Amino acid sequence: MGLDILFKIAGVGILVSVFHTALKQAGKEDMAHLCTLAGFTVVLLWVVQLLGKLFNTVQDVFKLF
Amino acid sequence: MWLKLIGSILVFLVSSYIGFQMASRCQARPRHLRQIISCLGSLRSYIIYAYLPLHEAVSRCTNGIDGPVTVFFQNVATMLEKEALLTPEEIIKRVLSEMQGILMLKSPEIEVLHVLGGNLGVMNSKEQEKYISLVIEQLERFENEATRLRDLNTKMYRYLGICGGMAIVIILI
Repeated sequence: MGLDILFKIAGVGILVSVFHTALKQAGKEDMAHLCTLAGFTVVLLWVVQLLGKLFNTVQDVFKLF
Repeated sequence: MWLKLIGSILVFLVSSYIGFQMASRCQARPRHLRQIISCLGSLRSYIIYAYLPLHEAVSRCTNGIDGPVTVFFQNVATMLEKEALLTPEEIIKRVLSEMQGILMLKSPEIEVLHVLGGNLGVMNSKEQEKYISLVIEQLERFENEATRLRDLNTKMYRYLGICGGMAIVIILI
């Protein structure tokens, strides 16, 4: 896995904050919120996959089920 | 590795280009409106004080202005001179539809120009002056609105272009 996923998430966070500021300055608050939500969803998709992996590992380590 | 890098740079460049293009389109609209207003101002003078025929007045009103607005008025003048069967309204409609992507006007401005075409050359000069003044007033209102939108949106389009490219690269890599 490595650290790249963390850097990716950080990058998306920074970009989403820039998007939010730019859209808010242009008076498009609703689009800004939508954009933040989209960024959050993308990051959540990555994190959910990692969490799935983590649970699988836990199952394997403790021989659950 | 190299392929990824080159692909990322291409995606970034293309999305930045799109952003800057949108920003320049945003900047072009108030400029075109301002030029149309100044052309209509001189058209009004040519009609009231110089009593020129319509095609000549339209052709001369673009003096000192260049760009798509000049092309629009010159096309209208040429068609007024050559197509005797068409009314000014039909000519303006036709030229506007020909120049749809070049002249950055939205539907309210286009509607106002159609109204102008409907009233050009069918009344005496005093009535025409009234109509042209009315059209100029309306266009000035649109220009103020377009300037406000330009100030708001130009920066936003640039930021969105650049950051959108970066976001696509980060998500795809």
